[in-house]
Amino acid sequence: MISRRIKKSVSDHIVDIVVGAIVVVVFFMSVYPFYLSVVLSFNEGTDAASGGIYFWPRRPTLDNYIQLVSDVKWIKAFAVTLSRTVLGTAMTVFFTTIVAYGLSHSKLIGRKIYMGILLVAMYVSGGIIPYYAVLKALGLMNSFAVYVVPGMLNLFYVLVSIAFFKAIPQELEDSAQVDGARDLRIFVSIIVPIAKPLLATIAIFVSVGHWNAWYDSAFFVQNDDLRTLAYRMMATIQRSSTTQGTDISQAGIVSMITYTPLSVQLAAMVLAVFPILAVYPFFQRYIIAGITIGSVKG
Amino acid sequence: MKKSLVVRLLNQRWLQLFVLLGMAYLLIFSYIPMAGIVIAFNKYKLNSGIVGMFTSPFVGFDNFIEFFTDYQFGDLFMNTILMSVSKLFFTFPLPIVLALALNEVKNRKVKRTVQTVSYLPYFISWVIVYGFCNIMFTKNGVVNDLLAALGGARAAFLSEPGTFLPLAVFTAVWKETGWWAIIFLASITSIDLSLYDAAEVDGASRLQRIFYITLPGIRPTITVVLILALGNLMGGGLSGSKFQQEYLCGNSGNLERAEILQTYIMKVGLSKARYSYAAAAGLVQSVIGLSLVGISNFAANKLTGEGLF
Repeated sequence: MISRRIKKSVSDHIVDIVVGAIVVVVFFMSVYPFYLSVVLSFNEGTDAASGGIYFWPRRPTLDNYIQLVSDVKWIKAFAVTLSRTVLGTAMTVFFTTIVAYGLSHSKLIGRKIYMGILLVAMYVSGGIIPYYAVLKALGLMNSFAVYVVPGMLNLFYVLVSIAFFKAIPQELEDSAQVDGARDLRIFVSIIVPIAKPLLATIAIFVSVGHWNAWYDSAFFVQNDDLRTLAYRMMATIQRSSTTQGTDISQAGIVSMITYTPLSVQLAAMVLAVFPILAVYPFFQRYIIAGITIGSVKG
Repeated sequence: MKKSLVVRLLNQRWLQLFVLLGMAYLLIFSYIPMAGIVIAFNKYKLNSGIVGMFTSPFVGFDNFIEFFTDYQFGDLFMNTILMSVSKLFFTFPLPIVLALALNEVKNRKVKRTVQTVSYLPYFISWVIVYGFCNIMFTKNGVVNDLLAALGGARAAFLSEPGTFLPLAVFTAVWKETGWWAIIFLASITSIDLSLYDAAEVDGASRLQRIFYITLPGIRPTITVVLILALGNLMGGGLSGSKFQQEYLCGNSGNLERAEILQTYIMKVGLSKARYSYAAAAGLVQSVIGLSLVGISNFAANKLTGEGLF
C-alpha cells in the first residue's frame, strides 16, 4: 500500500479529527432522540414531567404501556393504521404497476397521449381546496376509503416501473402469448416474479408513508373511530402542550396516577417506530436500490 | 401486411384497459381538481359539489384582492420565502459534507453503522419528530439543561417566534441529511480509484484529494440533486415536507413566524370553510413557487455557469 509509506501531513490529521467529530456527532444526534424516548416511556410520566432524565429511567414503570394497551382509542388507532398500511400498499403497488405495465408497451395505441396526460398530472396541481371538494363530492370524506383510494396511483413509481418493465425482454411475453396467455395472466405469472425487487421497493416506501400518515386523518376524517396512530400522537402532544407540565404532575400526585397523556403517547411513539426499526435491516438493500432507481429516472 | 386499427386495439384490449383505468383515475383525482381552480374566481360553496365549482357566481379577482390586502399577507409571504430559502441553504449542502466525511472513514463497520443510523430519521413520521422536539426542546428538556449547564439562558424553543425558524431548519436537516447523503456516497463509489493513487504519488494531501478529485467527481450528481431541490423549493427544500413540519410545530406562541401559505390555506380553507378565498391563496402560492424556482435557477446559472433547465 502506497498510503502506508507516505508520511501523514498535518492537514491529513486535521481531516481525521474533523471526520471523527462529524461521525460522532451524527451518530449521537441520530440515535439519542430514539433512545431518550424509550427511556422516558419506561419512566413514570408524572416524574418525567419535572425533567432531568437523560440516560436511564429514574422511576421505572410499565404503567405507560399498560395504560396504552388498555385504552380502546389507541388500540383502534393501531388497527386502523395497520389496515390502511396493508390494504393501501397492496392497492397502490398493484394499480401503479399494472398501469405502468400497459404504458411500457411501445405498441400501445395512444401511448404518447397517455404519457402526456400522466406528466401534466405529475407537475400541475389544482391545490388542496379543489382536491378536497372532489373528495367530498365522491363521498370519500370521513370514510376509511379516503386513506387508501386517493393514493392508489403513484405517478413517480409509474415512471420508475415503466423503465423497469421496458428492460424485460419482449420474447418472454411473446412466448407466453403463443401459449395463449392473456395480458393479465402474463402480468401476474411472468412479469411479477421478475419484478419482485421493484415491487418490494415500491411497497416499502408506500407502506412507510401509510404507517406515518396523519394529515388525511386530521383533515378528511371526523369520525373518532377512524383516527390513525400518527394522528392520535399528534393530537395528544398538541393537547398536552397547552397545559403546563407541572400542573399535570401535581394532579398526578393527588390522584396516585403515575402516567400522563404525554407519557402514554411516548409509549405509543416507541411502538410506532418499532415496526420500522424491525424491518429496516432487511429492507436496506431495497432502500438503496430504490433511491438509485429514483435518482436515475428523477 | 398492416392490421387495421380495430384489430390492433382488440389485440391489446387488456393493456388498453389497464391504462384507461389509470387515465380515469387521473381525470378524477388530478384533472378535475386542476380545473377546479376556477373556484378562486367565484363564490364556491362545498355542498354544490363538482358542478358547483363551474357554475358558482363569478366574482373576478375579489378573492385575490381580499387576500393581498389581508393584514397577515406580508407576514405569510415573508415567512414562506424565508423558510423555503433557509431550508434549502442548509438541507442541500450538508448531505454532501456528510457523504465526504463518511467516505474518509477507513473502518468499514463504523462507516456502515453511522450511515445506517443517519438515514433512519427519514423513515419516521413528522409527528414523531415533533414528539422528539417535545421531549428535547421543552423548558426543562435536555437541550435547555445543556444550555443552562454551559452557562446559557433557557429558551422556550417550542413557543417563541424567534426560535421557530432555526428549529424548523434543524429538524429538516436532522430528518433528511442522512438520506440524501446516500446518493452522494453512491456517486463517490463510481469515481476511478486510480485517480486517488496517482494523486497520492504526486504528494496530494487528503484535503486536496477531496477538493480536486472527490468533489469534481460527484459534480453531475450535485447538479441533479440541486435541480430536484429547486423544483421542490416551495415544498421546503429537498423532500418537500414543509407543510407537515410547520403545521405540527406551529402554535399560538410562534404563529407569527410559523404560519406559511400552505398552513394558512389549510386553516382558512378547511377549518373556516372559506373555500374560494383559500383556493385563490393557493394559486398565489403556486405562482410564488414558480417564480422562486425561476429566480434560483437564474442565480445558479450565474454562479456555476451551468443551466439547470
